[in-house]
Amino acid sequence: MNDLIELSKNLLASGKVAIILGYTEDKITKRIKPVIIRKPEDSTKLVFNHYAVNNLAVYLKNLKKVTQGKIGIVAKGCDIRAITALIQENQIARDDVFIIGANCNSVVLNYSDKWSPETSQSKCRACQLRQPQMYDAIIGELEDITFPPSEKLAFIQKFETMSAEERWDFWEDELSKCIKCYACRQVCPLCYCEQCVAEKTMPGWIDSSATTKGNFAWNLIRAFHQSGRCIGCNECERACPADIPLSLLNVKMGMIAGAKFNYQHGMSIDAPTLIGNFNTDDKEDFIL
Amino acid sequence: MENYTLTANNLKKLAEHLLTRELPWNVISVSEDGLHYKIVTKADQVILDSKAAPTKSSFKEFLLPKSDPLFYYKQNQNEVELSDPKFTDKKTVIFGAKPCDAASLPVLEKVFNWDYRDVFFNNRVANTFVIGLGCGYSDEYCFCNSVGLSPDSEKGSDIFLTPQVDGSYHAKIVTQKGKDFIAAFKEYFESAGSADVPQKEKAAQTREFDYKNIKNWLDNNFANNFWDTAGELCMGCAQCAFVCPTCHCFDIVDENCGLNCGRRAKNWDSCQFSLFTKHTSGHNPRDNQNKRYRQRIMHKFKYYNDKFEEILCTGCGRCSRGCEAGIDIAGILEEIDHLPG
Repeated sequence: MNDLIELSKNLLASGKVAIILGYTEDKITKRIKPVIIRKPEDSTKLVFNHYAVNNLAVYLKNLKKVTQGKIGIVAKGCDIRAITALIQENQIARDDVFIIGANCNSVVLNYSDKWSPETSQSKCRACQLRQPQMYDAIIGELEDITFPPSEKLAFIQKFETMSAEERWDFWEDELSKCIKCYACRQVCPLCYCEQCVAEKTMPGWIDSSATTKGNFAWNLIRAFHQSGRCIGCNECERACPADIPLSLLNVKMGMIAGAKFNYQHGMSIDAPTLIGNFNTDDKEDFIL
Repeated sequence: MENYTLTANNLKKLAEHLLTRELPWNVISVSEDGLHYKIVTKADQVILDSKAAPTKSSFKEFLLPKSDPLFYYKQNQNEVELSDPKFTDKKTVIFGAKPCDAASLPVLEKVFNWDYRDVFFNNRVANTFVIGLGCGYSDEYCFCNSVGLSPDSEKGSDIFLTPQVDGSYHAKIVTQKGKDFIAAFKEYFESAGSADVPQKEKAAQTREFDYKNIKNWLDNNFANNFWDTAGELCMGCAQCAFVCPTCHCFDIVDENCGLNCGRRAKNWDSCQFSLFTKHTSGHNPRDNQNKRYRQRIMHKFKYYNDKFEEILCTGCGRCSRGCEAGIDIAGILEEIDHLPG
């Protein structure tokens, strides 16, 4: 932790960054939560541990508008995939951020859980990026942890064997819980549209009512907009107040993108994006 | 008013009776996992647990549905046919309402009966009986004591239950509706004299602020630089508004159901969305999350108080418990409480 605090102090004092976006512990509730550090001496508030759950990349686009200078950001491997994706999609520039990569020993799903390999998020269990792939500085030590297998991948495998009717019933049941709060969109680092399709009113493409029709329209359109773009941070699912397993859709779409086009989003800032790039040898066997 | 005793056995029989009458009631209780209030179908699904944490969402959706149809339309050539949604006379009982949930009802009734009497809301309230349950839960997010309520506040309940050592409940009639309810189902309530039975246990709360002092500060500090960063980490997901027992803002939309038909509906909305204040010109007077967060605090603790002499907060702490950015409303209020004038 000391290396993070020292690093933050030096970066702010030298003017290398204007602010540090990181994690802190709430004085009273003891919860780990996002924080913006502006003065070098406030760096002592910074922490990084198993409870540093949030993907802070979600703040970058808006913070860039109001910040003079670089934004220092504490980021896990999965968060750095989101930063990389934002750079690939021309939403921020590599020079806008100073990435403090964190060697990550996995994070919990619920703040109230006590961390153990068993309470770590599904995304962490098969994570290839516990040591970040791109950074300007690195903090923390990797520990050797044996994780149980990912429940999500097991569920997707089971899901693939179900009939179309069973799968429809599953989603009808799950999506009926949606309250159309759009928390999934707001916490998503890659849902950055200035005007979301759900906010178009002339014409209104998506019913704002939390009815089966409106709920399917919203959740399926979001899944399509995320296909081949979702970097799997799982924030949408964690934020959902109705406990809908949203990431199943996105993870599956990502698996298809990987299988069909050998592409993973957010792995290299130089790679052309899947949707924004056409190759003559792209497979077309999925076109009906 | 009089006091009664409701034994656990009689509670079950009462629920059974309500569910299996000729005209069955909607019976609402906290779900088994403790996460939501839900309509139950069996008497043993009625769960009264005074020590349980507040549910994730309040019971407001049963009075103010997420999507509430106002009318339906059908177009035949050049004529438009309008029809009203059907009102149901079906009675609803909410068993085991937390005091911080029940207290929201009298607060909401004011805004829905101000310049316009909202028949949809009022109709549901008239048919709903709230059986409150004293609360023995407290965590670092609870602050009902600081907003003029308490874990044994009867505000909003028609009948208020206090758990007894022997597993039964002391039932106190709070309103005329509560009296009518007990009179209608008197075989399940035993008379217990008129003495007040003290709360079995009242968990201590660690949060403390003076909402009147906060109101004074808000009166004079709309432009204070405190607000410049107040919402900078808020992602604008509005989960806080959707789980809040008192947030009630709505949007009115027309939605089609095919080529020639549709409906107008009232849907939940929130001041934390940018679209909430966006004008048709494209101008948005609350163009960033700091201004939207200020609106949240101002509406709850100043504007509503100015207009209705109530505050739009019952201290349940749901908004903070569920906030993905870890924004703790009690912390913000404590901070304001200590700001100079």
